[in-house]
Amino acid sequence: MARWVLSPRPYQLLLGFAIFLAAWHLATAVLKVPVFQKIPPPAVVLREWFNPEPFFGVSVYTSLYYSHIAYSVYRAYTAFALAVLLGVPLGILIGWNRTFKEYAFPLVEIFRPIPPLSWVPLAILMLPGTEPPVIFVTFIAAFFATVLNTLLGVQSIDRGYFRAAQCLGFSRKDTLFHVVIPGAMPHVFIGLQIAMGLSWVALVAGEMIAGKRGLGYMIYDAYSMVQIPTIIMGMLTLGFLGFFSSALVRYLGRRLMAWRSY
Amino acid sequence: MFRVVFSTALWRGAGGIAVFVALWEAASLLKLPFLRFVPAPHILFASVVETIQTQAYWSAVLISARRVVIGYVIGVALGVPIGLAFGVSRVFKGLFFPVFETLRPIPPLAWVPLSILLWPTMEQTVISVIFLGSYFTVVINVLGGVETIDIRYVRAALSMGATRWQVFWKVVLPATSPSIFTGMAIAMGLTWEIVVAAEMVSSIGSGQTGLGAMMWQAYVGGVIPLIITAMVSIGLAGLLFSALIWQIGAFATRWRRVM
Repeated sequence: MARWVLSPRPYQLLLGFAIFLAAWHLATAVLKVPVFQKIPPPAVVLREWFNPEPFFGVSVYTSLYYSHIAYSVYRAYTAFALAVLLGVPLGILIGWNRTFKEYAFPLVEIFRPIPPLSWVPLAILMLPGTEPPVIFVTFIAAFFATVLNTLLGVQSIDRGYFRAAQCLGFSRKDTLFHVVIPGAMPHVFIGLQIAMGLSWVALVAGEMIAGKRGLGYMIYDAYSMVQIPTIIMGMLTLGFLGFFSSALVRYLGRRLMAWRSY
Repeated sequence: MFRVVFSTALWRGAGGIAVFVALWEAASLLKLPFLRFVPAPHILFASVVETIQTQAYWSAVLISARRVVIGYVIGVALGVPIGLAFGVSRVFKGLFFPVFETLRPIPPLAWVPLSILLWPTMEQTVISVIFLGSYFTVVINVLGGVETIDIRYVRAALSMGATRWQVFWKVVLPATSPSIFTGMAIAMGLTWEIVVAAEMVSSIGSGQTGLGAMMWQAYVGGVIPLIITAMVSIGLAGLLFSALIWQIGAFATRWRRVM
């Protein structure tokens, strides 16, 4: 910590943000560049964000803001949890059992290239209510990334480990639990990080089109009412939540794989 | 050829798909509630064949492809130099990487409303969102590539009297090029995903009709086979475009080929 404070990094960080905000302020408030004429300067966004009586109805002091956040987080994490629960075992099974792979993998490969976001209309038609379609689309986004990376993880295990396990008389079950699953873990967590990022991307699209609450809806609603500071607030909040979620997955991965010191 | 046709893997794969289609057909026959809007496979197949013979379909494909290509090319053209700059200059990275990392997790779609306000036409809006999607992906992959270069190569070059400029052109750039192409291929897959959603969110009822808008109109009009046709087309287009980038990448870095 002390070394960090003495290094140039924190000052560069602050300077970088200062340059960014100054450029934003300059373009919108001082020079009034025509392209940016509808974009508010940073001070306006900040004032709205931390205003006890927000002009457009949403700020850190209103419960509406937190209810949007809660809805988005609930959807993203539910979909992510479902994707992990179904995707990791499927990926391990495909990687571990060749017969199963030959039957099931082509089917996965047919569905995988279809972008999750293009499932939105079909999801609305197939599933009842407003929650299931959004969660389904988010789930699709996270699911395929999880399956594929888990499979890659199993395939990346050194063949020598399997031979060693066989020489030592491991049963199929022992091999699965002591070689395949721990061996695939590093890739699984890379996959989960990617999946977490993708699920936020899909979530926003789903909420914009189908949602009734949530940050994506908040942005879209603010757009249709021309409440531009609220749009930017929503974007930055999403950025923060996405970043925090990925960091959480990374942290869990590091805790669960303590044998890998990195 | 003979071995491919008669391999068990191929037959089992086909079997898995056949079982899926049969289950779908059976579910349609049984009129399961969640499939009440989804046509049976044989009806769907007939309508797909019909759709791909129409001109409207191909013009939608071309319009989306044009947007993807323009946004993607700008994204790569800006993303590769910025990624390299982050990798080679500690000061540049210290200054702007935190800002970049703050903006990167914002989903591309969340930029759509702001882009609509920024750009005068829908065309530019969709292209700018595609640009953002590919730009962030390319930068982060290029930077990752630079950072995994074995430091000994750089030291070896420096100790043999290479200038910084030579180190960049002879060591950093060739060593990073595989990551550049990986990033480009991933970004290409992502752009097709973004174009659909951006078209669904932004160009509803206005501008030229891309595949996303076509899909949305099909949804509003209740033409389910057309929705599924559009979904599959977008998937195939993404696959084809990414495969093209992988091929170009494999050719450009052919020294990596083992055989």
